[in-house]
Amino acid sequence: MAKDEAHGINGVTPGEAVGVVAAQSIGEPGTQMVLKAFHSAGISSVITTKGLPRIIEIVDARKKPKFPIMEIRLEKGIEKNYAKVREIWRKIEEVKVSNVITNFDEDLKSGTLILHLDKEKLSFYEITGKTVASRLSKREDLSVEQMDSETIKMKYKGKGRTAHMVRTAFVNVLGSAIVGIKGIIKATVQQAEDGTYTITTSGSNLEEVMKIDGVDKWHLYSNDIFEVMRVYGIDAARNLIAHELDEVIKEEGFTVSFRHIALVADAMTHTGNIKSIGRHGVAGQKESVFARAAYEETVKHFTNASVFGEIDHLKGVAENILIGKQIGLGTGIIRLTVKKDDLKKVKPKKED
Amino acid sequence: MSDKKQNEKCHVYLDGKAIGVVKSGARFADEIRKNRRTGLVSGEVNVAYMKKLNEVHINADRGRARRPYIIVEDGVSKLTPEIKEKIKSKEIDFNYLLRKGIIEYLDAEEEENVNAALTEDAIDDRTTHLEIDPAAMFGFTFSSSVFQEYNSVGRHPISSNFIKQSQGLYAINFNNRYDPRAYLLFYPQMPMVNSTTYRTLKLNRHPSGQNMIIALSTYFGYNMKDALVINRAAIDRGLGRSVFYRTYGDEERRYPGGQQDRFKVPPATTEGYLGEHAYAMLSEDGIIEPEMEIRENGVMIGKVSPPRFLEEQTSFGVGEEKSRDNSVTLRAGEEGTIDSVLVSETPGATKIVKVRVRNIKIPEVGDKFASRHGQKGVIALIVPPEDMPFTKDGVVPDILLNPLSLPSRMTFGHMLETLGAKAGALSGKQFDGTAFSGNGRDRVDNYGALLEQHGFDKFGDEFLYDGRTGKKFDSSIFTGIVYFNRLLHMVSTKLQVRSRGPVQILTHQPTEGKPRKGGLKFGEMERDALVGYGASLLLKDRMLEQSDKADIWICKDCGDVGYFDHIKNVPVCPADGTNNLERVEISYAFKLLLDEIKSLHILPRVRLHSE
Repeated sequence: MAKDEAHGINGVTPGEAVGVVAAQSIGEPGTQMVLKAFHSAGISSVITTKGLPRIIEIVDARKKPKFPIMEIRLEKGIEKNYAKVREIWRKIEEVKVSNVITNFDEDLKSGTLILHLDKEKLSFYEITGKTVASRLSKREDLSVEQMDSETIKMKYKGKGRTAHMVRTAFVNVLGSAIVGIKGIIKATVQQAEDGTYTITTSGSNLEEVMKIDGVDKWHLYSNDIFEVMRVYGIDAARNLIAHELDEVIKEEGFTVSFRHIALVADAMTHTGNIKSIGRHGVAGQKESVFARAAYEETVKHFTNASVFGEIDHLKGVAENILIGKQIGLGTGIIRLTVKKDDLKKVKPKKED
Repeated sequence: MSDKKQNEKCHVYLDGKAIGVVKSGARFADEIRKNRRTGLVSGEVNVAYMKKLNEVHINADRGRARRPYIIVEDGVSKLTPEIKEKIKSKEIDFNYLLRKGIIEYLDAEEEENVNAALTEDAIDDRTTHLEIDPAAMFGFTFSSSVFQEYNSVGRHPISSNFIKQSQGLYAINFNNRYDPRAYLLFYPQMPMVNSTTYRTLKLNRHPSGQNMIIALSTYFGYNMKDALVINRAAIDRGLGRSVFYRTYGDEERRYPGGQQDRFKVPPATTEGYLGEHAYAMLSEDGIIEPEMEIRENGVMIGKVSPPRFLEEQTSFGVGEEKSRDNSVTLRAGEEGTIDSVLVSETPGATKIVKVRVRNIKIPEVGDKFASRHGQKGVIALIVPPEDMPFTKDGVVPDILLNPLSLPSRMTFGHMLETLGAKAGALSGKQFDGTAFSGNGRDRVDNYGALLEQHGFDKFGDEFLYDGRTGKKFDSSIFTGIVYFNRLLHMVSTKLQVRSRGPVQILTHQPTEGKPRKGGLKFGEMERDALVGYGASLLLKDRMLEQSDKADIWICKDCGDVGYFDHIKNVPVCPADGTNNLERVEISYAFKLLLDEIKSLHILPRVRLHSE
């Protein structure tokens, strides 16, 4: 079958209520999904939202997913070289001071903080006490002094040495990053069957990861839809919405045609911005006053409409059902092109 | 528990009020218990030591659910074989056991301090109490069932619910009672298999079902999915027949201003007069007589009430006293015979009348039955006896149960009862089916032996003959007796149809619910289904034509809603007084919406254009 022919066959007939069918096709299996998703403990070191909560998260267009993740592929040539991959991994995972210490002693009265570094952890992250110290010495409110390879002593030298301020500064120190990319809590190197390595991360930061040499910039994956839109544009975000929805539904063991899902993604992104499906998004931004009022916040919509003198042209489905007109969908889309009165003007041809 | 708390003194609460402290709560509670058993403290006092809170709760108030336990001391039940012997010979009774501290009642709180053994064999050195009988774990309702331990746990609550819904002999003085609703089974029977608890509670005084002969067989697909095929001859002989009583009542209410209701045949001048024939059944006192047949909406108590609003003054002073009809009529869709009439007075000396209507309900297609094992069914077909299968002895089953209803629900008790009741019926005995009182295999063997004695298959199987052809069926069919309950869900009280009928005043949409002759709701999801299918005209039919279609006049100039002046025969726009209006067909709900928007101080305007 030729490509054009196939396209024609799969086309939808005019007047088909694609939106309603899509909503029903996704909504029906949705009722069978359990609201509470269970985290599969163990095996996977990267946690993500799954099941219905993830669908809600996507459809609601939340600014930040609860558990953002990234999948980082590596450039050809180094993708099978573990040492090189580890080198890149080290640049990605964010290591905080609190990650590399065994314990700390603080004296709020004199304003001193002594960090006891963990030798094993330092070698795991391949950093030395010196790096930690040099990192911390950039702070202006502290004087840093490295006692030995495993001990760092700090003294607070900021203005107004109240216990509260000292404490805040120390907590800040413990949470400050030494190496890695901001926002990436954890990164793990995974090996595929063909021997290539990929890095999976908890936390997402596309801009920074792209800057790292050796990372395959053309095949970066993040499940943070808004970040993808910022970095790659709306088309990528649309594809991501569709892909993420599809994955979740597939994982739950349901079959929903991709076209329904794609329609949802299109509806959310066709304005060039990500809109949620709900009272503030697709449904809440309908043109018709009646359709909006019928959905939610009835009085608010009517009062606003009166202030701006809105006109409802009765084009949509909801408003036509409300007033009792035939809806402009399905069998209702068919109209006569010739007006009844015009027919009278036509004179029959005289037969010879 | 922290050491600190352990050293603290233990607080004592009596009926929830703090009354003092003791050094050791546990010892204090034990002391009270000891005294209770000797009779120094009332047996109605319960005491509990809360280890986690280090508190002692003493309860002596009313309203606590309590249950009896046999006391165990030093690993020995205080109910010794000698005492058991004495009970058997009726030398002593239950109260003796309570007095002597052999059995005591515990409430929910004290049970927390108890280590109760289920059986005598399970007693160890930590045991403090012994259950009187393991079957006592079931409540009143479920105790009327049998062989509960052989059924799947999931069926227990279902079974309990069905037993509660069964029709039976709910009270022996039913004839003197005026219950709002009452169901009475005509020929209730005692179950062929019952239990100790059933006999102890004397539940046979309030039987709620009948022993029905069942065969586990299909019948042309008429008993698929919990449907029942029932023998017409059995129904004709009174199987499952019951009577339904409903009591209607009214009183002569007094109103401020000296006016009051009157029971009488309403005069023709009354407001809302239903016509002479409607009151034909009433006697002079305005009340119907017993044993009169009455149909739906028939008047039973004639009553006139004063008008709802104060009367206007006429030129002749206070005018003739107007009244409105406020008679009590039989519910829509019901019929019956007046069973009895009661005329009395309230303590406030207002006259009250109660009328009890009786209606015999013969089992019909759609009525619900259930066994005591959570196996319910609805009659799907009533078969003439000649078409029913029969056994070699000529026994025709009352009910044909679908065999597929058993394996998935795992109600083995149902099958055991079938077998036991059959053996019992043949040997003229009632068998005991108390939960946890026997071994399933032994039971099957016993029943089997009895059945074989009477020339039946030991597993209850019988070869049936097709009633229509007389030919023997290829395979043997499990046949026996099961105690079935007729449940109070009957089609005659539920069936309703509507093709046209009343509409709501506010919205002009059809009413909802059976008492208002309502329609079935065509809801949001149903609407979405039609939208999704694209059936636009069917949708319009449902949402407009069959619902609240209205003809509204819209002003072509101002877009406001107008009306049609039938005297001048012109449409009028009340806003600008013109007659330039157009008739528009819309849903009344939309007109109502426009009105409600106007109530928000927003003026909606409708612009018209023809297509």
